[in-house]
Amino acid sequence: MLHPGIARRLRLTWLCLVAGISIHGAYGAEKVYMEAADFAASAFSTPSPQTHVLWLTPELRATAVRILGHEPAQLRQKYWNEGKKTVWILEEIGKEEVITAGFVVQDGHIEQTRVLTYRESRGDEIRYPAFLNQFQGATLADDNHLNRRIDGISGATLSVNAMVRMSRLALYFAKMAEAK
Amino acid sequence: MSAPHLKTSPRLIPSLLACLLTAGLSVAQGAVPTLEEKIEILQQELEELKRQVAQNQAATTRLANNTAGNTGGAGSGNAIASAGNSLASSATTIGGYGELSYNRYRNNNTYDNQADLNRFVLFFGHRFNDKLRFMSEMEVEHAVSSSSDQGEAEIEQAYLDYNLNDKLNFKAGLFLMPLGILNETHEPPTYYGVMRNEVETRIIPSTWREGGIGVYGEVLPGLRYDVGVTTGFNAAKIDDPAFAIRGGHQEMQLSKANDLSVYAALNYRAPGLLLGGGVFTGGTAQKGASLADPTAKALLQNSKARLTLWDLHGKYSIGDLDLQALYAKGTLGDADTVAAAIAAQQIADSTGTGIAIPKSFYGWYGQAAYHLWRSDDMELIPFVRYERYNTQKEVAAGFTANPLNDERAVTAGANFKLHPQVVLKADYQKFRADPGKDRLNLGVGYMF
Repeated sequence: MLHPGIARRLRLTWLCLVAGISIHGAYGAEKVYMEAADFAASAFSTPSPQTHVLWLTPELRATAVRILGHEPAQLRQKYWNEGKKTVWILEEIGKEEVITAGFVVQDGHIEQTRVLTYRESRGDEIRYPAFLNQFQGATLADDNHLNRRIDGISGATLSVNAMVRMSRLALYFAKMAEAK
Repeated sequence: MSAPHLKTSPRLIPSLLACLLTAGLSVAQGAVPTLEEKIEILQQELEELKRQVAQNQAATTRLANNTAGNTGGAGSGNAIASAGNSLASSATTIGGYGELSYNRYRNNNTYDNQADLNRFVLFFGHRFNDKLRFMSEMEVEHAVSSSSDQGEAEIEQAYLDYNLNDKLNFKAGLFLMPLGILNETHEPPTYYGVMRNEVETRIIPSTWREGGIGVYGEVLPGLRYDVGVTTGFNAAKIDDPAFAIRGGHQEMQLSKANDLSVYAALNYRAPGLLLGGGVFTGGTAQKGASLADPTAKALLQNSKARLTLWDLHGKYSIGDLDLQALYAKGTLGDADTVAAAIAAQQIADSTGTGIAIPKSFYGWYGQAAYHLWRSDDMELIPFVRYERYNTQKEVAAGFTANPLNDERAVTAGANFKLHPQVVLKADYQKFRADPGKDRLNLGVGYMF
């Protein structure tokens, strides 16, 4: 049996938690940090940036498979652009759940990265600027890998890997969109 | 697409309608396309349909070539393939990891060389809604599990996770204890060395799980707390002092729950940095419930035998260099009583005269790894680790500690990643107190 002092503290903790539920119960676990449209709008000076579609031709699809390690789910990829700046909203599975992230690419390098929706039970530290800022300025090397190493987060290996794969895909798509 | 194909492909018409509808939705969502753009969209859709029809025909041909007895297998395969093509992930998810090893001892007079499928693990998860999910991990150790083999089939995790917000989440069931680095993150590609490190095997009994309820969340960006009430150890089951109190681990198999335990952990995570620690404490006497001998049972009925185990740990990456260190220490109260109870039971059963139950035990290690070479997804990472541990720092009165349990070990080798989630490993381990354990290890590990 628990020590009476510990039991008393546990009862108090439980009361605090019940109170906490009533205060915080409105929030969901599918953590939406930013809507895709808001992210796109924040990247441009105009309120309604142009939307475009990049078709995943067999060549693009083959490269996407090499980057992701699996078939991409989409037949075509929607993106926004203004001048040489493009915005990409991508999705990739971390360990079990889909992570949605936004990437702003300009002149072949990543200008901004944001985790828009996170659904995994562990590893959501990838949403913090300390992690995301590592992608700023990253470009695509000849082998379609990033030109830099991204430091991982302990316990979030698969979420970090998913973010790296998505950033590579965003840079590749941006390159192909520019060449179109 | 020719007319005969349309006739022989009944799925094509709904597909075409769906594609046209999709094209229409795309138009509605974005800027209004020009006529040329609309034609381009439809052309692309038709190209894709042609590709899909060709794939379907090929699949149909393969199916027709199979024997009737293969129908179930083909159906399963299709289900998996379609799941893999969609990121709209199923509510039920599957993952896993595994590892194989080969140990070759320098002098195999004491220990036999062996090859083993150490672990084969499958994860099953199910999301009931946005807040509530079920997580589980099923494991088979050493390939075969039967009454005449050493293998085990076990449930490593099975719990419900209820997420309220970043700061407050609950879990209930069988889950991993948040002590150390390896216990919660133990997939082979995530750690260096073929075998798990000795300190997080003998001092922190990884993979260590308990049944209970827990609360966790972030108090500040990157700073996560984890607290809970769980089952604990059963001191009467401690059987091998070389592994400290590991033998008393109940693994939620009809666990004696007369004494419960509590745990708390705090970890700060940032890119390339982990700093944290945890503590677990609770009674282990369990009122002698698993002892049959009345004398032995009576000894533990009025005892507490509190176990307290704590650790501090850290990881830091500087460029291509990964550094990691951990210190862990445990104490067992009433160790004299526990030792006397086990001795009484063994004497009654004529199986022995007792065990040198540890009153205290500790261990620490420091490790350095360097990302020496990488190409595409492959990476070569040599590492070296020094470990110091003593599973019997102090023992119960009347018993003597085995000097072989006061050990220093050096491990040097390399992880070669074929893919971020697939690793080949090789290392050599040298032990000071028990040189008979010096060995070459080779291994393969994966996670998905």
